[in-house]
Amino acid sequence: MQLHINTYGTYVHVKDAMFEIRRKLDNGNLEKRHFAASKVRQIVMTTGMALSTDAVKLAMEHNVDLLFIEQHGKPIGRVWHSKLGSTTKIRKAQLQASLNERGLTWVKGWLIQKMENQRNFIQDLKKHRATMADYLDDKITKIENLTNSVQLQEGQSTAEVSDTLRGLEGTAGRLFFETLSQVLPKESQFKGRSNRPAKDPFNAFLNYAYGMLYGKIEKVLIVAGLDPFVGFMHRDDYNQLSMVYDFIEPYRICADEVVFRLFSGKKVNKSHTTEITGGSSLNTEGKALLVNAFNKFMDDNAVRYKGRNLVRSHIIQLDAHRFANSLIEKEQDANLDFI
Amino acid sequence: MLIWILYDIEKDRQRTRVAKMCKQAGLYRVQFSCFLGTLNKNELDTLNLQIGELIDEEKDKVYIFPMSKNELQQCKLLGQAFDKNLVTDEIRAFFL
Repeated sequence: MQLHINTYGTYVHVKDAMFEIRRKLDNGNLEKRHFAASKVRQIVMTTGMALSTDAVKLAMEHNVDLLFIEQHGKPIGRVWHSKLGSTTKIRKAQLQASLNERGLTWVKGWLIQKMENQRNFIQDLKKHRATMADYLDDKITKIENLTNSVQLQEGQSTAEVSDTLRGLEGTAGRLFFETLSQVLPKESQFKGRSNRPAKDPFNAFLNYAYGMLYGKIEKVLIVAGLDPFVGFMHRDDYNQLSMVYDFIEPYRICADEVVFRLFSGKKVNKSHTTEITGGSSLNTEGKALLVNAFNKFMDDNAVRYKGRNLVRSHIIQLDAHRFANSLIEKEQDANLDFI
Repeated sequence: MLIWILYDIEKDRQRTRVAKMCKQAGLYRVQFSCFLGTLNKNELDTLNLQIGELIDEEKDKVYIFPMSKNELQQCKLLGQAFDKNLVTDEIRAFFL
Protein backbone atom coordinates (compact mmCIF):
# COMPACT_ATOMS: atom_id res chain seq x y z
CA MET A 1 0.00 0.00 0.00
CA GLN A 2 1.01 3.61 -0.34
CA LEU A 3 1.01 5.92 2.66
CA HIS A 4 0.29 9.52 1.75
CA ILE A 5 1.26 11.74 4.63
CA ASN A 6 -0.26 15.17 4.32
CA THR A 7 -1.07 16.36 7.82
CA TYR A 8 1.26 19.08 9.11
CA GLY A 9 3.43 17.94 12.00
CA THR A 10 3.11 14.19 11.42
CA TYR A 11 6.02 12.11 12.66
CA VAL A 12 7.09 8.91 10.92
CA HIS A 13 9.36 6.62 12.90
CA VAL A 14 9.91 2.98 13.80
CA LYS A 15 8.29 1.03 16.61
CA ASP A 16 8.71 -2.76 16.91
CA ALA A 17 10.10 -3.01 13.37
CA MET A 18 6.97 -1.37 11.98
CA PHE A 19 6.36 2.14 10.72
CA GLU A 20 4.61 4.19 13.38
CA ILE A 21 2.85 7.27 12.17
CA ARG A 22 2.06 9.74 14.89
CA ARG A 23 -0.05 12.81 14.41
CA LYS A 24 -2.14 15.18 16.45
CA LEU A 25 -5.85 15.05 15.73
CA ASP A 26 -8.03 18.14 15.60
CA ASN A 27 -9.33 17.44 19.11
CA GLY A 28 -5.77 17.48 20.50
CA ASN A 29 -5.46 13.73 20.97
CA LEU A 30 -2.43 11.89 19.68
CA GLU A 31 -3.14 9.24 17.06
CA LYS A 32 -0.66 6.42 16.46
CA ARG A 33 -1.00 3.98 13.61
CA HIS A 34 1.25 1.06 12.81
CA PHE A 35 2.02 -0.36 9.42
CA ALA A 36 4.02 -3.54 8.81
CA ALA A 37 7.05 -2.79 6.64
CA SER A 38 6.29 -5.72 4.35
CA LYS A 39 2.90 -4.24 3.45
CA VAL A 40 4.10 -0.74 2.64
CA ARG A 41 5.32 -0.15 -0.91
CA GLN A 42 5.76 3.59 -0.87
CA ILE A 43 5.58 6.47 1.59
CA VAL A 44 4.75 9.82 0.03
CA MET A 45 5.42 12.82 2.25
CA THR A 46 4.74 16.48 1.70
CA THR A 47 6.62 19.23 3.50
CA GLY A 48 6.03 19.97 7.19
CA MET A 49 6.66 16.41 8.44
CA ALA A 50 9.33 14.67 10.48
CA LEU A 51 11.03 11.40 9.63
CA SER A 52 13.48 9.37 11.69
CA THR A 53 16.65 7.83 10.29
CA ASP A 54 15.53 4.45 11.60
CA ALA A 55 12.43 4.78 9.45
CA VAL A 56 14.69 5.45 6.46
CA LYS A 57 16.71 2.35 7.35
CA LEU A 58 13.60 0.19 7.67
CA ALA A 59 12.38 1.51 4.35
CA MET A 60 15.67 0.68 2.62
CA GLU A 61 15.66 -2.84 4.07
CA HIS A 62 12.20 -3.54 2.70
CA ASN A 63 12.62 -1.73 -0.60
CA VAL A 64 10.07 0.86 0.43
CA ASP A 65 10.21 3.93 -1.75
CA LEU A 66 10.33 7.20 0.24
CA LEU A 67 9.11 10.00 -1.94
CA PHE A 68 9.05 13.68 -0.98
CA ILE A 69 6.69 15.92 -2.88
CA GLU A 70 5.66 19.55 -2.90
CA GLN A 71 2.11 20.56 -2.02
CA HIS A 72 1.08 20.60 -5.67
CA GLY A 73 2.42 17.12 -6.29
CA LYS A 74 5.79 17.71 -7.92
CA PRO A 75 8.41 15.27 -6.59
CA ILE A 76 11.31 16.95 -4.76
CA GLY A 77 13.35 13.84 -4.21
CA ARG A 78 13.36 10.29 -3.05
CA VAL A 79 15.29 7.97 -0.81
CA TRP A 80 16.22 4.78 -2.60
CA HIS A 81 19.18 2.49 -1.99
CA SER A 82 22.10 3.82 -3.95
CA LYS A 83 22.74 0.66 -5.95
CA LEU A 84 22.11 0.76 -9.68
CA GLY A 85 19.03 -1.19 -10.63
CA SER A 86 21.06 -3.30 -13.02
CA THR A 87 24.35 -3.42 -14.91
CA THR A 88 26.46 -0.34 -15.69
CA LYS A 89 26.52 -1.51 -19.29
CA ILE A 90 23.01 -0.12 -19.65
CA ARG A 91 24.07 3.33 -18.54
CA LYS A 92 27.00 3.41 -20.95
CA ALA A 93 24.74 2.36 -23.78
CA GLN A 94 22.21 4.98 -22.75
CA LEU A 95 24.89 7.71 -22.91
CA GLN A 96 25.97 6.54 -26.36
CA ALA A 97 22.40 6.41 -27.63
CA SER A 98 21.83 9.96 -26.39
CA LEU A 99 24.42 11.15 -28.93
CA ASN A 100 23.53 9.10 -32.00
CA GLU A 101 20.61 8.20 -34.21
CA ARG A 102 19.41 5.37 -31.95
CA GLY A 103 18.36 7.95 -29.42
CA LEU A 104 16.40 9.75 -32.10
CA THR A 105 14.60 6.54 -33.08
CA TRP A 106 13.43 6.11 -29.50
CA VAL A 107 12.46 9.75 -29.05
CA LYS A 108 10.42 9.65 -32.25
CA GLY A 109 8.78 6.42 -31.07
CA TRP A 110 7.78 7.96 -27.74
CA LEU A 111 6.43 11.14 -29.29
CA ILE A 112 4.47 9.30 -31.97
CA GLN A 113 3.00 7.02 -29.34
CA LYS A 114 2.03 10.01 -27.22
CA MET A 115 0.31 11.72 -30.13
CA GLU A 116 -1.42 8.52 -31.19
CA ASN A 117 -2.72 8.14 -27.66
CA GLN A 118 -4.09 11.68 -27.83
CA ARG A 119 -5.68 10.95 -31.19
CA ASN A 120 -7.24 7.71 -29.95
CA PHE A 121 -8.59 9.47 -26.90
CA ILE A 122 -10.35 12.03 -29.07
CA GLN A 123 -11.62 9.19 -31.25
CA ASP A 124 -13.08 7.64 -28.09
CA LEU A 125 -14.75 10.92 -27.15
CA LYS A 126 -16.55 10.86 -30.50
CA LYS A 127 -18.52 7.75 -29.57
CA HIS A 128 -20.91 9.56 -27.26
CA ARG A 129 -20.74 13.02 -28.78
CA ALA A 130 -22.35 12.75 -32.19
CA THR A 131 -23.09 16.48 -32.33
CA MET A 132 -19.40 17.34 -32.04
CA ALA A 133 -18.21 14.78 -34.58
CA ASP A 134 -17.08 17.37 -37.14
CA TYR A 135 -15.13 19.38 -34.60
CA LEU A 136 -13.44 16.24 -33.24
CA ASP A 137 -12.69 14.86 -36.72
CA ASP A 138 -10.94 18.10 -37.58
CA LYS A 139 -8.69 17.78 -34.49
CA ILE A 140 -8.00 14.13 -35.26
CA THR A 141 -6.79 15.00 -38.76
CA LYS A 142 -4.59 17.82 -37.46
CA ILE A 143 -2.95 15.59 -34.84
CA GLU A 144 -2.44 12.84 -37.46
CA ASN A 145 -0.65 15.33 -39.70
CA LEU A 146 1.62 16.34 -36.84
CA THR A 147 2.37 12.67 -36.14
CA ASN A 148 3.41 12.22 -39.77
CA SER A 149 5.71 15.24 -39.55
CA VAL A 150 7.42 13.70 -36.51
CA GLN A 151 7.84 10.46 -38.44
CA LEU A 152 9.60 12.33 -41.26
CA GLN A 153 12.28 13.94 -39.08
CA GLU A 154 15.71 12.51 -39.80
CA GLY A 155 19.12 13.26 -38.36
CA GLN A 156 22.38 11.91 -37.01
CA SER A 157 21.34 12.75 -33.47
CA THR A 158 18.34 14.00 -31.56
CA ALA A 159 19.94 17.41 -31.01
CA GLU A 160 19.72 18.22 -34.75
CA VAL A 161 15.94 18.05 -34.82
CA SER A 162 14.96 18.48 -31.19
CA ASP A 163 13.63 22.01 -31.68
CA THR A 164 11.34 20.91 -34.49
CA LEU A 165 10.18 17.91 -32.47
CA ARG A 166 9.43 20.08 -29.47
CA GLY A 167 7.39 22.39 -31.68
CA LEU A 168 5.34 19.59 -33.22
CA GLU A 169 4.77 18.01 -29.83
CA GLY A 170 3.71 21.33 -28.34
CA THR A 171 1.21 22.00 -31.11
CA ALA A 172 -0.33 18.55 -30.70
CA GLY A 173 -0.59 19.14 -26.96
CA ARG A 174 -2.33 22.48 -27.44
CA LEU A 175 -4.85 20.94 -29.86
CA PHE A 176 -5.46 18.05 -27.49
CA PHE A 177 -6.16 20.17 -24.40
CA GLU A 178 -8.25 22.61 -26.41
CA THR A 179 -10.41 19.65 -27.43
CA LEU A 180 -10.68 18.31 -23.89
CA SER A 181 -11.81 21.69 -22.61
CA GLN A 182 -14.36 22.04 -25.41
CA VAL A 183 -15.91 18.68 -24.53
CA LEU A 184 -16.18 19.32 -20.79
CA PRO A 185 -19.24 20.82 -19.10
CA LYS A 186 -19.22 24.66 -19.22
CA GLU A 187 -18.18 25.14 -15.58
CA SER A 188 -15.04 22.94 -15.94
CA GLN A 189 -13.70 24.43 -19.15
CA PHE A 190 -10.21 25.87 -19.10
CA LYS A 191 -7.84 27.92 -21.19
CA GLY A 192 -4.80 25.81 -22.00
CA ARG A 193 -2.22 24.33 -19.66
CA SER A 194 -1.00 26.32 -16.69
CA ASN A 195 1.51 25.53 -14.02
CA ARG A 196 2.66 27.21 -10.78
CA PRO A 197 -0.02 28.15 -10.08
CA ALA A 198 -2.60 26.21 -12.02
CA LYS A 199 -5.12 28.80 -13.20
CA ASP A 200 -8.12 26.49 -12.84
CA PRO A 201 -9.12 23.26 -11.05
CA PHE A 202 -8.59 21.12 -14.17
CA ASN A 203 -4.95 22.17 -14.41
CA ALA A 204 -4.50 21.77 -10.66
CA PHE A 205 -5.68 18.16 -10.94
CA LEU A 206 -3.59 17.54 -14.04
CA ASN A 207 -0.41 18.96 -12.47
CA TYR A 208 -0.81 16.76 -9.42
CA ALA A 209 -1.50 13.71 -11.59
CA TYR A 210 1.61 14.37 -13.69
CA GLY A 211 3.53 14.78 -10.46
CA MET A 212 2.49 11.28 -9.41
CA LEU A 213 3.38 9.98 -12.84
CA TYR A 214 6.86 11.59 -12.72
CA GLY A 215 7.50 9.79 -9.44
CA LYS A 216 6.40 6.49 -10.94
CA ILE A 217 8.46 6.89 -14.12
CA GLU A 218 11.59 7.84 -12.23
CA LYS A 219 11.21 4.70 -10.18
CA VAL A 220 10.70 2.34 -13.13
CA LEU A 221 13.78 3.82 -14.83
CA ILE A 222 15.93 3.30 -11.76
CA VAL A 223 14.63 -0.24 -11.32
CA ALA A 224 15.42 -1.01 -14.96
CA GLY A 225 19.00 0.22 -14.47
CA LEU A 226 18.60 3.40 -16.52
CA ASP A 227 19.88 6.83 -15.52
CA PRO A 228 16.94 9.22 -15.05
CA PHE A 229 19.24 12.20 -15.69
CA VAL A 230 20.52 11.22 -19.14
CA GLY A 231 17.84 12.32 -21.57
CA PHE A 232 17.68 12.03 -25.32
CA MET A 233 15.58 15.03 -26.17
CA HIS A 234 15.29 17.11 -23.06
CA ARG A 235 18.16 19.42 -22.30
CA ASP A 236 20.91 18.25 -19.98
CA ASP A 237 20.42 21.06 -17.51
CA TYR A 238 21.65 20.88 -13.95
CA ASN A 239 19.59 18.33 -12.07
CA GLN A 240 17.04 17.91 -14.82
CA LEU A 241 15.44 14.49 -14.82
CA SER A 242 15.76 14.49 -18.58
CA MET A 243 15.13 10.80 -19.23
CA VAL A 244 12.04 10.94 -17.03
CA TYR A 245 10.65 13.73 -19.22
CA ASP A 246 11.48 11.76 -22.38
CA PHE A 247 10.16 8.43 -21.19
CA ILE A 248 6.96 9.79 -19.62
CA GLU A 249 5.45 10.98 -22.91
CA PRO A 250 3.53 7.85 -23.96
CA TYR A 251 2.08 7.49 -20.47
CA ARG A 252 0.87 11.04 -19.92
CA ILE A 253 -2.41 9.89 -21.39
CA CYS A 254 -3.01 7.89 -18.19
CA ALA A 255 -3.02 11.08 -16.12
CA ASP A 256 -5.01 12.95 -18.78
CA GLU A 257 -7.65 10.24 -18.88
CA VAL A 258 -8.06 9.92 -15.11
CA VAL A 259 -8.43 13.68 -14.66
CA PHE A 260 -10.72 14.06 -17.65
CA ARG A 261 -13.02 11.28 -16.41
CA LEU A 262 -13.24 12.86 -12.97
CA PHE A 263 -14.32 16.17 -14.51
CA SER A 264 -16.58 14.80 -17.25
CA GLY A 265 -18.24 12.52 -14.69
CA LYS A 266 -18.81 15.56 -12.48
CA LYS A 267 -16.94 13.94 -9.61
CA VAL A 268 -15.07 17.17 -8.87
CA ASN A 269 -16.73 20.07 -7.08
CA LYS A 270 -15.75 23.22 -5.23
CA SER A 271 -14.76 21.32 -2.07
CA HIS A 272 -11.80 19.67 -3.84
CA THR A 273 -9.79 22.75 -4.64
CA THR A 274 -8.74 25.85 -2.76
CA GLU A 275 -8.37 29.21 -4.41
CA ILE A 276 -4.92 30.70 -4.16
CA THR A 277 -3.47 33.90 -5.57
CA GLY A 278 -3.85 33.74 -9.31
CA GLY A 279 -5.18 30.20 -9.48
CA SER A 280 -6.26 27.07 -7.77
CA SER A 281 -4.69 24.31 -5.76
CA LEU A 282 -5.76 20.82 -4.71
CA ASN A 283 -6.69 20.39 -1.06
CA THR A 284 -6.62 17.22 1.02
CA GLU A 285 -10.01 16.05 -0.24
CA GLY A 286 -9.08 16.72 -3.84
CA LYS A 287 -5.81 14.83 -3.42
CA ALA A 288 -7.62 11.83 -1.93
CA LEU A 289 -10.08 11.79 -4.81
CA LEU A 290 -7.36 12.00 -7.44
CA VAL A 291 -4.89 9.60 -5.82
CA ASN A 292 -7.54 6.92 -5.39
CA ALA A 293 -8.80 7.30 -8.94
CA PHE A 294 -5.24 7.29 -10.29
CA ASN A 295 -4.19 4.22 -8.31
CA LYS A 296 -7.30 2.37 -9.39
CA PHE A 297 -6.60 3.23 -13.02
CA MET A 298 -2.93 2.23 -12.83
CA ASP A 299 -3.12 -0.82 -10.56
CA ASP A 300 -6.61 -2.30 -10.73
CA ASN A 301 -7.85 -2.18 -14.29
CA ALA A 302 -5.94 -4.62 -16.45
CA VAL A 303 -5.49 -3.93 -20.15
CA ARG A 304 -4.32 -6.16 -22.98
CA TYR A 305 -0.57 -6.01 -23.55
CA LYS A 306 1.34 -8.44 -25.75
CA GLY A 307 -1.22 -11.17 -25.30
CA ARG A 308 -1.50 -10.80 -21.56
CA ASN A 309 -3.83 -8.92 -19.24
CA LEU A 310 -1.68 -6.59 -17.18
CA VAL A 311 -2.21 -3.52 -15.05
CA ARG A 312 -0.74 -0.29 -16.40
CA SER A 313 1.92 0.17 -13.68
CA HIS A 314 3.33 -3.20 -14.57
CA ILE A 315 3.28 -2.42 -18.30
CA ILE A 316 5.33 0.74 -17.76
CA GLN A 317 7.92 -1.23 -15.80
CA LEU A 318 8.10 -3.87 -18.54
CA ASP A 319 8.52 -1.17 -21.18
CA ALA A 320 11.41 0.31 -19.19
CA HIS A 321 13.09 -3.10 -19.00
CA ARG A 322 12.51 -3.62 -22.69
CA PHE A 323 14.06 -0.23 -23.46
CA ALA A 324 17.07 -1.02 -21.26
CA ASN A 325 17.51 -4.44 -22.86
CA SER A 326 17.35 -3.03 -26.35
CA LEU A 327 20.09 -0.54 -25.44
CA ILE A 328 22.43 -3.39 -24.60
CA GLU A 329 21.05 -5.25 -27.60
CA LYS A 330 19.47 -8.13 -25.77
CA GLU A 331 16.37 -7.21 -27.64
CA GLN A 332 16.20 -5.57 -31.03
CA ASP A 333 14.79 -2.07 -31.26
CA ALA A 334 11.45 -3.75 -31.61
CA ASN A 335 8.46 -1.86 -32.87
CA LEU A 336 7.37 0.19 -29.94
CA ASP A 337 3.94 -0.51 -28.67
CA PHE A 338 2.94 0.94 -25.39
CA ILE A 339 -0.47 1.25 -23.84
CA MET B 1 -3.71 -16.06 0.74
CA LEU B 2 -5.93 -14.95 3.58
CA ILE B 3 -4.82 -16.22 6.96
CA TRP B 4 -6.64 -16.33 10.26
CA ILE B 5 -4.65 -16.72 13.46
CA LEU B 6 -6.50 -17.43 16.69
CA TYR B 7 -4.85 -18.22 19.98
CA ASP B 8 -5.15 -18.91 23.67
CA ILE B 9 -1.83 -18.35 25.35
CA GLU B 10 -1.45 -18.48 29.12
CA LYS B 11 1.60 -16.36 29.81
CA ASP B 12 1.25 -12.60 29.28
CA ARG B 13 4.77 -12.18 27.91
CA GLN B 14 4.41 -14.86 25.24
CA ARG B 15 0.93 -13.66 24.32
CA THR B 16 2.13 -10.11 23.74
CA ARG B 17 5.03 -11.35 21.64
CA VAL B 18 2.77 -13.46 19.44
CA ALA B 19 0.46 -10.48 18.90
CA LYS B 20 3.45 -8.35 17.91
CA MET B 21 4.71 -10.99 15.47
CA CYS B 22 1.32 -11.12 13.78
CA LYS B 23 1.29 -7.35 13.39
CA GLN B 24 4.84 -7.30 12.04
CA ALA B 25 3.90 -9.92 9.49
CA GLY B 26 1.24 -7.53 8.25
CA LEU B 27 -1.89 -9.08 9.78
CA TYR B 28 -4.68 -6.95 11.23
CA ARG B 29 -6.04 -7.39 14.72
CA VAL B 30 -9.73 -8.21 14.39
CA GLN B 31 -10.25 -9.28 18.01
CA PHE B 32 -7.97 -9.42 21.06
CA SER B 33 -6.67 -12.89 20.24
CA CYS B 34 -7.52 -13.04 16.62
CA PHE B 35 -5.65 -11.76 13.55
CA LEU B 36 -6.51 -11.75 9.88
CA GLY B 37 -4.69 -10.63 6.77
CA THR B 38 -3.04 -11.56 3.49
CA LEU B 39 0.30 -13.38 3.57
CA ASN B 40 2.32 -15.23 0.98
CA LYS B 41 3.61 -18.74 1.54
CA ASN B 42 7.03 -17.66 2.80
CA GLU B 43 5.64 -15.11 5.21
CA LEU B 44 3.23 -17.73 6.54
CA ASP B 45 6.04 -20.28 7.04
CA THR B 46 8.16 -17.73 8.89
CA LEU B 47 5.32 -16.75 11.17
CA ASN B 48 4.45 -20.38 11.78
CA LEU B 49 8.01 -21.15 12.93
CA GLN B 50 8.30 -17.98 15.02
CA ILE B 51 5.11 -18.70 16.94
CA GLY B 52 5.94 -22.41 17.27
CA GLU B 53 9.22 -21.56 18.99
CA LEU B 54 7.61 -19.23 21.46
CA ILE B 55 4.58 -21.03 22.85
CA ASP B 56 4.28 -23.69 25.53
CA GLU B 57 3.17 -26.77 23.62
CA GLU B 58 1.67 -28.35 26.74
CA LYS B 59 -0.76 -25.55 27.47
CA ASP B 60 -1.17 -23.02 24.66
CA LYS B 61 -3.40 -23.27 21.61
CA VAL B 62 -2.78 -21.54 18.30
CA TYR B 63 -4.86 -22.03 15.17
CA ILE B 64 -3.68 -20.94 11.76
CA PHE B 65 -6.39 -21.19 9.09
CA PRO B 66 -6.24 -20.27 5.46
CA MET B 67 -9.34 -18.91 3.81
CA SER B 68 -10.18 -18.18 0.20
CA LYS B 69 -11.27 -14.77 -1.02
CA ASN B 70 -14.61 -16.23 -2.11
CA GLU B 71 -15.29 -17.53 1.36
CA LEU B 72 -14.46 -14.15 2.83
CA GLN B 73 -16.99 -12.52 0.54
CA GLN B 74 -19.62 -14.90 1.91
CA CYS B 75 -18.84 -13.96 5.51
CA LYS B 76 -21.53 -12.12 7.42
CA LEU B 77 -20.16 -9.31 9.53
CA LEU B 78 -22.24 -7.57 12.21
CA GLY B 79 -21.51 -4.61 14.43
CA GLN B 80 -18.00 -3.21 14.68
CA ALA B 81 -16.45 -5.79 12.38
CA PHE B 82 -13.24 -5.59 10.35
CA ASP B 83 -12.96 -4.06 6.90
CA LYS B 84 -12.97 -6.71 4.16
CA ASN B 85 -11.05 -4.47 1.77
CA LEU B 86 -8.37 -3.82 4.36
CA VAL B 87 -7.58 -7.45 5.13
CA THR B 88 -7.46 -8.42 1.45
CA ASP B 89 -4.96 -5.59 0.76
CA GLU B 90 -7.38 -3.92 -1.61
CA ILE B 91 -6.94 -0.56 0.05
CA ARG B 92 -4.04 0.84 -1.91
CA ALA B 93 -3.55 4.24 -0.35
CA PHE B 94 -3.84 5.68 3.13
CA PHE B 95 -4.05 9.41 3.79
CA LEU B 96 -2.65 10.50 7.10
